[in-house]
Amino acid sequence: MSNKNNPSNSDSVLAKSVQAIAVTLLVFGAITMIVPFIWSVITSLKSAENIFSHSAFWIQFPPDFSAYKQIWERIPLLLYAGNTLKVALIVTVGQLATSSLAGYAFARLKFPGRDKLFFVYIATMMIPGMVLLIPNFVVMRNLGAINTHWALILSAVGSAFGTFLMRQFFLSFPSELEDAAKLDGCNPFMFYWHILLPNSKPILTTLGLMAFQNIWNDFQWPLIVLNDESKRTLQLGLSYLMSEYYTDWTLLMAGAIITLLPIILLFFAVQKYFVQSFKFTGLKG
Amino acid sequence: MAVEAIPQTKKKITFAKKQRIQEAIWGYLFITPNFLVILFFTFIPVFFALYMSLTDWNILSDPNFIGLENYEKIFSDPLAKETFLNTFYFAVVSVPINVFLTLLLAVLLNQKIKGITFFRTAYYLPVISASVAVSLMFMWILANNGLLNQILGGMGIEPVRWLTDPKIALNSVIGVTIWKGLGLNMIIFLAALQDIPKELLEAAAIDGANAVQKFFKITIPLLSPVIFFVTITGVIGSFQSFDLVYNMTRGGPGHSTTVIGFYIWRQAFDYLHMGYGAALAFIVFAAILVLTILQWVLRKFWVYSEE
Repeated sequence: MSNKNNPSNSDSVLAKSVQAIAVTLLVFGAITMIVPFIWSVITSLKSAENIFSHSAFWIQFPPDFSAYKQIWERIPLLLYAGNTLKVALIVTVGQLATSSLAGYAFARLKFPGRDKLFFVYIATMMIPGMVLLIPNFVVMRNLGAINTHWALILSAVGSAFGTFLMRQFFLSFPSELEDAAKLDGCNPFMFYWHILLPNSKPILTTLGLMAFQNIWNDFQWPLIVLNDESKRTLQLGLSYLMSEYYTDWTLLMAGAIITLLPIILLFFAVQKYFVQSFKFTGLKG
Repeated sequence: MAVEAIPQTKKKITFAKKQRIQEAIWGYLFITPNFLVILFFTFIPVFFALYMSLTDWNILSDPNFIGLENYEKIFSDPLAKETFLNTFYFAVVSVPINVFLTLLLAVLLNQKIKGITFFRTAYYLPVISASVAVSLMFMWILANNGLLNQILGGMGIEPVRWLTDPKIALNSVIGVTIWKGLGLNMIIFLAALQDIPKELLEAAAIDGANAVQKFFKITIPLLSPVIFFVTITGVIGSFQSFDLVYNMTRGGPGHSTTVIGFYIWRQAFDYLHMGYGAALAFIVFAAILVLTILQWVLRKFWVYSEE
């Protein structure tokens, strides 16, 4: 008995110490991940004059919320948020509509040239966005879309990746439903609208979240195509705020927190779909 | 009877044909909106960019065709050389560290540990955060009197000019890039780890393999396609990095953090050298294409096959 017990005892001691090391490392990593956010919040709640006169570890109590009031006077934050939300929502709905329609056609409908066309789609997914910046700027310029939100919308309402994702999902959709719908006289659009879409909510949510987050966080493309202050998105506004008030850390941190908050709240609300979207981002690269 | 049968099959054929045509029309109709976007904003622009790279276009005057002059210029442009070296350094330092850390994190999280939801959430936060806000947060942390220097000061270490010392700034940008990207590759590794059949590890344990042997003889070979994939996408990401550089350092001090993603933007949209910018972008495109093809060719040789 004791012979039998000993190895399993030492095993469990080993397992426990391995676990302890694992937890320690994970805790250390998690602190590294979270501290920048916490420190930004702490900084944003200090009075501007206390930033340099006190040590970094000092926390002002009671907190001073004036940076969160001031920022609305320094930049038209509400306008930027409205611009961003408008573009993000249009792109999300547009991308979901065009990608799901095209994905359905590639997965389920037969038409000449379908597979060749799909191959072109896959090939375009490999083109790095950087190569497209310059020619797309020229296309937008010729369309008269520079310095309008159309420049952000037009190039994003369709997506090769979204189509690929929807196609893969629709391929696994049971064909009995489709046959039954056909017998009932459903045309492809009725089937898509009444049966396919209502049964694809998880994948639509994931793709929609990716589109929304991409537009919300996008920086380089808006920087290139937008000039007017009144057209700016949140990220652009924040970046310009930084070049104007580059030592006003309470203000800048308040700005960072405000622009981060919507996405972080969305993340906590639908974490499952975010995690799913991370896995797809891997595919996209 | 026979006379009747012939028109019926004919009718059937035309009906089936009509149905096929109808289905094809629906198909074309459904792909059209998405296809137009891809056509005008991805497919045609690639060829357009290739043409532009052969011109001296600067927006203000009409483009002149100058052949390969832009490509020749890349080789004589000392700044392009410095930029490529910086980008190379960026990839060579950031990718291995990222792959090592994310694999380690995924293995740790794959243990049965309490509070796993908390850890996962913590590592995901930087991934969903916008790069402008992240840049701001880290400019303050890395400022001369920022958090990091004050922590180091507490340990008796001299303050470091994280973003203003040309020898250090690129490393700081790399550090923030790694910090921001950990959660993404971690989740990819974690999903792959959970796909490894438990029976395989149990069988190895019965055969007397210890944890280290199991890790290197079973887990790593089974993960090798993912490791390879994450490495390639990491290198491609390094080639395109822009947001953090633009916001944190503007490519400086000097040109010490000017990586190719930033240099292309600067040439094309700051100096309006559209043609030269397009040529630079095509060099990167070629490099990415070679890497992507290599990924497919090489994986057959050294990556453990899934079959």
